[in-house]
Amino acid sequence: MNADQLAALAPIITITGAAIAVMLAIAIRRNFLLASGVAAGGILLSMLALGLAWPQSPAQVTLLMLLDDYALFTMALLLVTGLAVLGFCYDYFKDREGENEELILLLLTALLGATVLVASSHFAAFFLGLETLSISLFALAGYPINRARPLEAAIKYLILSGVSSAFLLMGMALIYAQSGELGFSGIGHFIANQPVMNTVVLGGVILIVAGLGFKLSLVPFHLWTPDVYEGAPAPITAFIATVSKGAVFILLLRFFISTDSYGYNPLLSVFSVIAMLSILGGNVLALLQTNVKRMLAYSSIAHMGYLLVAFIAGGSIAPGLVIEAVTFYIVAYFITTTGAFGVVSVLSTPQTEAGDIGFYRGLFWRRPLLAGTFTLMLLSLAGIPVTAGFIGKFYIFTSGADGRLWGLLAAVIAGSGLGLYYYIKIVVVMSMNEEATVRKAEESSGARISSATLAVLSLLLIWFGLFPDHLVSIIQSVSNTVR
Amino acid sequence: MNTEAILAANLLPLIIYFGAILFITAVMLGGAYFLGQRHRAKAADEPFESGVVSTGDVHIRFSVHFYLLAIFFVIFDMETVFLFAWSVALKESGWFGFIEALIFIGILIATLIYLGAIGALDWRTRRQRIDTSQNSR
Repeated sequence: MNADQLAALAPIITITGAAIAVMLAIAIRRNFLLASGVAAGGILLSMLALGLAWPQSPAQVTLLMLLDDYALFTMALLLVTGLAVLGFCYDYFKDREGENEELILLLLTALLGATVLVASSHFAAFFLGLETLSISLFALAGYPINRARPLEAAIKYLILSGVSSAFLLMGMALIYAQSGELGFSGIGHFIANQPVMNTVVLGGVILIVAGLGFKLSLVPFHLWTPDVYEGAPAPITAFIATVSKGAVFILLLRFFISTDSYGYNPLLSVFSVIAMLSILGGNVLALLQTNVKRMLAYSSIAHMGYLLVAFIAGGSIAPGLVIEAVTFYIVAYFITTTGAFGVVSVLSTPQTEAGDIGFYRGLFWRRPLLAGTFTLMLLSLAGIPVTAGFIGKFYIFTSGADGRLWGLLAAVIAGSGLGLYYYIKIVVVMSMNEEATVRKAEESSGARISSATLAVLSLLLIWFGLFPDHLVSIIQSVSNTVR
Repeated sequence: MNTEAILAANLLPLIIYFGAILFITAVMLGGAYFLGQRHRAKAADEPFESGVVSTGDVHIRFSVHFYLLAIFFVIFDMETVFLFAWSVALKESGWFGFIEALIFIGILIATLIYLGAIGALDWRTRRQRIDTSQNSR
């Protein structure tokens, strides 16, 4: 390894250093503000280190990691989201009794796992990144250990995630048994040189898809999602919904493009069925929920289905366009979901999660700004114009139409229609007159960091909705580097 | 004779063996069930039919204090495995490997400092800790 490669790896090294620094800070003086401050500083430094890594890209650092422009861009996205979640965590946990500092430490290790995941070009880095991410998430989801719900969420996530990792490993083993390769490009060469379709490799890829389907909560593998989303503390739910899912999806995309697995037509049929089920199942089940966190969980299942439509289109359209569509959608989804769960997190306290829809009754009259932000986020999730979610959905449509996936597009339209209903339902509940309800004395005070973060997220949402050109040109320039 | 036929022929004794196991178990359990006596007395379900009647709940909570110790052992034991691998290839990995191992050991030491500072390595019980602090006063 030479200096150039070290520079390319600098963002990941910085985030590792930040985790160790937080650990030592806890050892010296146990203070939540100190730990959060060190972590925030570490994440900011890591973003600066991205600038150091930028001139080196694309850099293949050892066999394991490929830091190209796309990897660095997605890392930046993950780090920014991590910073936002850190802000929500600070406001959520600062008044909680007990030892909250390790939460920050776990957040950093989860972020480390996610950044490794988006830069991996080898099964070893892929699996290590995924496990670093998942194992941190179990502990994060169950952090308020003396309450039943988070504990249940953590145990469920632990068991199902363990099962999905077993699927993943089996899939990797099957591919390795046939090709003798663990690097993505080596597997790509092997697949390209096969005269006929290799069924064992196909089986391996399907097992990997099943394993990743668990992490992405696509429909046949989605059972954990509502329980974990409901049980985990709201800021952590935001993290699971965005960083964890986004990083895994980016990895899936990279794996498919660099191994050229799009050549396997049966695989695309499998994906089409999964996408269809996710869109319809997620939206229909979301209709039935009275708990906002569960509803957002089901809606995130549906959103992963939409994302998969653009992904499937890669079978017939240029990979550059697929990456562009998927990346824009992921950016919009990150902003929106972080914002939506951020509002939930501001309304929640460690004792009571603001899950039940009754919490939101008359919110417009009590806290108009917060309700306005939530409305904006929900409209973006529904894909209403002026928000970034609209441009994202437009991209999904464009790539789906280019790929001639009419059946899937019909599902997207039906899903969006259903989605509009339950998103608007929350808005209606929020604008109901307050006199009809018992006033709840839950005015949490001084959530200043969260409020500032939410304001920034709302601005970004509108900005990318009205003027997407700038972001699009950045995404286009980075997505051309992936191969 | 192909391989599958050979396998099937070899399987026959195994099948007979399993059948015999099932038969003997069925005879033993079934015989006891049909021929044995039935007690419906109240004390028949007690763990001991003679002696002191047991009291209390068996689901008592006991300290998992040494669990932590066991986990630390497993973790640090696993870490040394990596160092063994490095020591075998010490010359081949050169200065680069040496620096990497130093970083690794440094992180381990940081972890140890952290564990010491949060009191995880202090394996007295909470009661004992309170007692000692009172005695020293």
